[in-house]
Amino acid sequence: MNYDCLIIGGGISGLTCGIKCVSEGLRCGILSSGMSALHFSSGSIDLYGYHTNRKIVYQPLDYIERLIIPEGRHPYSKCGIDMIREGISFFSETLEKEGLVLYHNNDYNHFHVSTMGTVKPTYLSQRSVFNDSIKEGFKKRSKIAILNFSGFRDFYPELAAENLRKNSLFSLFDIITGEIELPLFRRTEKNPHEFRSMDIARIFDSEKYLPGIANQIVNASGGALFVGLPAFIGINNFTRIYQRLSELTGMLIYEIPTLPPSILGMRIDDALKSRFAALGGEFIAGDTVNGGEIVNGVLDHIHTENHGSTRLRSKFFVLSSGSFFSRGLVSEFNMIREPVFNLKVAASEDRREWYSPSFFQKESHPFLEYGVVTNNTLNPEDTQGATVENLFCTGAILPHYNPIREGCGGGVAISTGYFAAKKIIEGCRS
Amino acid sequence: MINLENISFDHCIKCTVCTIYCPVARETHLFPGPKQSGPDTERLRIKDPYLVDDSLKYCSNCKRCEIACPSGVKIADLIQVAKFQHLKKKIRVRDFFMSRTDLVGRLATFMSFLTNFVINLLPVKFFMDVILKIPFGRSFPKYASGTFHGWAKKKMPDQSKFRTKAVYFHGCYVNYNNHQLGKDLVDVLNAMNIGVITENEKCCGVPLIANGYIDKAKKNAAHNIQALSRALGEEGTRIVSTSSSCSYALKYEYANLLELNNATIYDKVDYITKYLYSQFETGNIPPMKPVNLRAAYHSPCHLERMGGVIYTINVLKEIPGLDLVILHSECCGIAGTYGFKKEYYEISQSIGANLFRNIEKADVEVVITDCETCKMQIEMNTPYEVLHPVQVLARAIKNNTR
Ligand SMILES: Cc1cc2nc3c(=O)[nH]c(=O)nc-3n(C[C@H](O)[C@H](O)[C@H](O)COP(=O)(O)OP(=O)(O)OC[C@H]3O[C@@H](n4cnc5c(N)ncnc54)[C@H](O)[C@@H]3O)c2cc1C
Ligand code: SF4
Ligand code: SF4
Repeated sequence: MNYDCLIIGGGISGLTCGIKCVSEGLRCGILSSGMSALHFSSGSIDLYGYHTNRKIVYQPLDYIERLIIPEGRHPYSKCGIDMIREGISFFSETLEKEGLVLYHNNDYNHFHVSTMGTVKPTYLSQRSVFNDSIKEGFKKRSKIAILNFSGFRDFYPELAAENLRKNSLFSLFDIITGEIELPLFRRTEKNPHEFRSMDIARIFDSEKYLPGIANQIVNASGGALFVGLPAFIGINNFTRIYQRLSELTGMLIYEIPTLPPSILGMRIDDALKSRFAALGGEFIAGDTVNGGEIVNGVLDHIHTENHGSTRLRSKFFVLSSGSFFSRGLVSEFNMIREPVFNLKVAASEDRREWYSPSFFQKESHPFLEYGVVTNNTLNPEDTQGATVENLFCTGAILPHYNPIREGCGGGVAISTGYFAAKKIIEGCRS
Repeated sequence: MINLENISFDHCIKCTVCTIYCPVARETHLFPGPKQSGPDTERLRIKDPYLVDDSLKYCSNCKRCEIACPSGVKIADLIQVAKFQHLKKKIRVRDFFMSRTDLVGRLATFMSFLTNFVINLLPVKFFMDVILKIPFGRSFPKYASGTFHGWAKKKMPDQSKFRTKAVYFHGCYVNYNNHQLGKDLVDVLNAMNIGVITENEKCCGVPLIANGYIDKAKKNAAHNIQALSRALGEEGTRIVSTSSSCSYALKYEYANLLELNNATIYDKVDYITKYLYSQFETGNIPPMKPVNLRAAYHSPCHLERMGGVIYTINVLKEIPGLDLVILHSECCGIAGTYGFKKEYYEISQSIGANLFRNIEKADVEVVITDCETCKMQIEMNTPYEVLHPVQVLARAIKNNTR
C-alpha cells in the first residue's frame, strides 16, 4: 500500500493530524492497537492550566506565547503560537461538523469539576460543562443538586459535594446530593450496580424515558438551579438529548465525568473517527505496529502484528502512540524505551528518579516528562543518532512537558498533530 | 494450572472499554461482558474451576473486545478456552450437526433439491424449533448439487498452463452451498494469469470450535496444516481463502486456541483481497468494464480483527463503475452458528438491527461483504442480495470479455 501519510496511534493527536491530511486530499491511514486516552479523559481540552507554583493560568494562549514558547524545549515552543491557535480552531471546527460543539470562555480558561469534586482550569469543553448559560448561572451563587442513579457505582455524589464545599469558589452555594431511579432498572435482570456509564448513556440516547427522568430530577433537586449528573446524557445523540432534558427540567444541567470509561471523552473519539472516515481516511483498528526499517535517515516501511511480513509504505509517517498508558513508551527494569523504532528517549536512567514518593503529589511525577527527543520540526533520531526526516512524533509521546502539572495534555496533542500535518502536506506538495 | 501462553489477562487495567464495545453485552444483561467473563474471572477460574459460571456461553467470539482493548488482552481467546475447558458439554444433536459442516454438507449436497425443499417445510421448521432449538424464523443457506471440490477436480479449466499459482482453501460454504463464488474466483485469478489449485481440505474448524468440539477441530486443523503445506510447493505460492473466518482460523485460531504449530502456513495464508491487492500493486490488474452498481460494504468482525478490511476496500475501489457506500463497522449479529441457535436468536437479531437500518438508509442496489454468514444474516433481514467482493470483480471482468 502506498500512502502519503501513515499514522501510528489513533488518539486525539493522530486523529487531528490524519483529519487535516485527508482534508487536504492526501491518502492517509491510521493504525491503532486499542482505544486511546480519550476514553479515560475528562473530555475537556486543557491548553495551559497552571504556573510552576501551581497558581492558575487564566489566559493560556497569552501565557504560552510569553512564557512557554521562549523556553525552547517545550512542544509548544516547536509549534509556535500561530500553529497552536490554528490547530485548536481546526480541531473545534472538525468536531462542530460532526455536531459536537466545544465552548471556550473568550480565550480565557474556565473551570470544570472532576469525579472527585475537584475544580480544574481547562480551555475547551462540551456544552454540558461550559456555555454562556452555565457561566451566567454560576454568578447567581444559588443551589446545586448533585444526583446519581441509585445503585450506579462509578460515581459518588457525596464525595464530589464534600470536596466542592471545601472550595472557596463554591463557598456561597448550597450543595445537596440525591438519588433518582432509572425506569428501565425495574425491567431488567441486571443489577444496577453492574451498570456502566455506557449502559445508561444508551438509555438516554433512546429518548424514551426522558420525561420520566426529568420529573425525577426536578423532584430530587429541591428547587436547585444547577443539577450535576454523572456524564451519561447520551452518546450518539448528545446535543439533542441535552437540549430536551434542559427544557423538560428547566434547570442548568451539568455533566461530571465518571470513573472510566468516560462518555465525555468517547463523544470526541466518535466524532473524530467519523470525520476521518467521512473524508476518506482509512482507520485500521486493533493492529499494533511492531517495527519498521530506517535507511539513511528515512523510514522506508513499517510492519504490524496482523499484517505479518507485509510492508506498509508511505511518504511520511507519524508516531502518535501516546505515553506509558497507551504503551507508546515502555519502562524496563532500568530504562525507558520507545518500543516501535527504538528512537532516542529523554529519561533518567535511575529508576528511583522516575516517580515521586506520593501518588497524588502536587508536583506530579517526573516520568510524565519523559519521551522521544525530536528536533524543532518534531523529527526524532534513530539508534545511530541520525534524524529521521519523514517521521514525525506528536502528542503524549513527546518529552519536556508535564500534562498533569501544567494542565496542557490535550493542547499539546492537538497542536503537535496539526503541526506535523502541515509539514507533511507541505512535503507532499513540494 | 496457569497457561503461561496467555497471561495477557494480567495486563488488564480494568478500564471496561472492552465491555462497552461488546455487541452481546449491549443487547443482553445475561452476559456480564468481556471484562468480567475474560480477565476478571480468569484469575478465579485458575484457582478453582468451580467458580466458572455458564454465562460464558453467550460470547459469540466476534473479537470486537480485543480490537478495543488498550492493553492487548486476548479477551475473546480467554473466554473461548474457558468455555471448552470448563463448561460441560451437553451433547446436543443440533450442535453436533451444526458443527459437522463436512458431514452435513456431503449428505445435503447429495440430494440438494430434497434438502432445500424439506428444510423450508412448515412442520420441519416447527420440529427444528421445538426439538432441535433452531429458531423458527431463521432462513437457511441453500445447498448446491455436488461439491465444488468435485467440480474443481473434474471440470475446472486447465490450471497447469499458468506459471504463478495460488492454493485455494475454498471452505465448506463454497464447497456445499455457493459453487459460483469458487468458480468466480477461478475466473478472476485466471484473468490475472494465476492458476488455482485446490487441496483435499477439511472444514477449517470454526464451527467446531464454536460448538466446543475441540478434539475434532484439532484433527481437522492438523490435516489442513499438512495438506496445505504440501500443496505450497514452489517458492512464492500463496494460500488464499474467500472466507474471512476460514482465513482467521488458519492463521490465528490454529495457533492461539488449538495450540497447534502452523508456522509452515502462517505467513502464507491470505484472505483473498489481500492477495488481490498485492497483485494489483505490482500492476497485475485484470481488464475490467464498468459494473454500474451502487453497493454498501459491510466489514465482517473477523476480517476487522485481522486488519484485512483496508484490502477489501482498496480492491473494491479498483472496480470501475462501483459506487461504494462504506457502512459504519458493526457486528451483524450472526457470528457463525450463534444466530442459528434458538437461545441466542433474539440477541443476534437485535445486535444486527442497527446495521440493517443503516443498509436500508444507504439506498443501494446490493450489499457487499466478505463473510458467508454475514451474507445469510443480511439477506434474511434486508431485501438486498449480498455479493462477495470476488463476485463483483468477476462481473467487471465478464463485462470486459462480453
Ligand atoms: C488517563 C488520562 C486522562 C487524561 N485526561 C485528559 C483530559 O481530560 N484533558 C486533557 O487535555 N488531557 C488529558 N490527558 C492527557 C493526554 O495524554 C492527552 O490529552 C491526549 O489524550 C494524548 O493523546 P495522544 O493522541 O498523544 O495519545 P493517546 O491518546 O495515548 O493515543 C495513543 C494511541 O496509540 C495507540 N498505539 C500505541 N502503540 C501503538 C503501536 N505500536 N501500534 C499501533 N498503535 C499504537 C494506542 O492504542 C492509542 O490508541 C489524559 C491522559 C491520561 C493518560
Ligand atoms: S468476542 Fe465479541 S461477544 Fe465475545 S466478549 Fe468479545 S466482544 Fe463480546
Ligand atoms: S479493555 Fe482490556 S484492559 Fe480494559 S477492562 Fe477490558 S481487558 Fe481489561
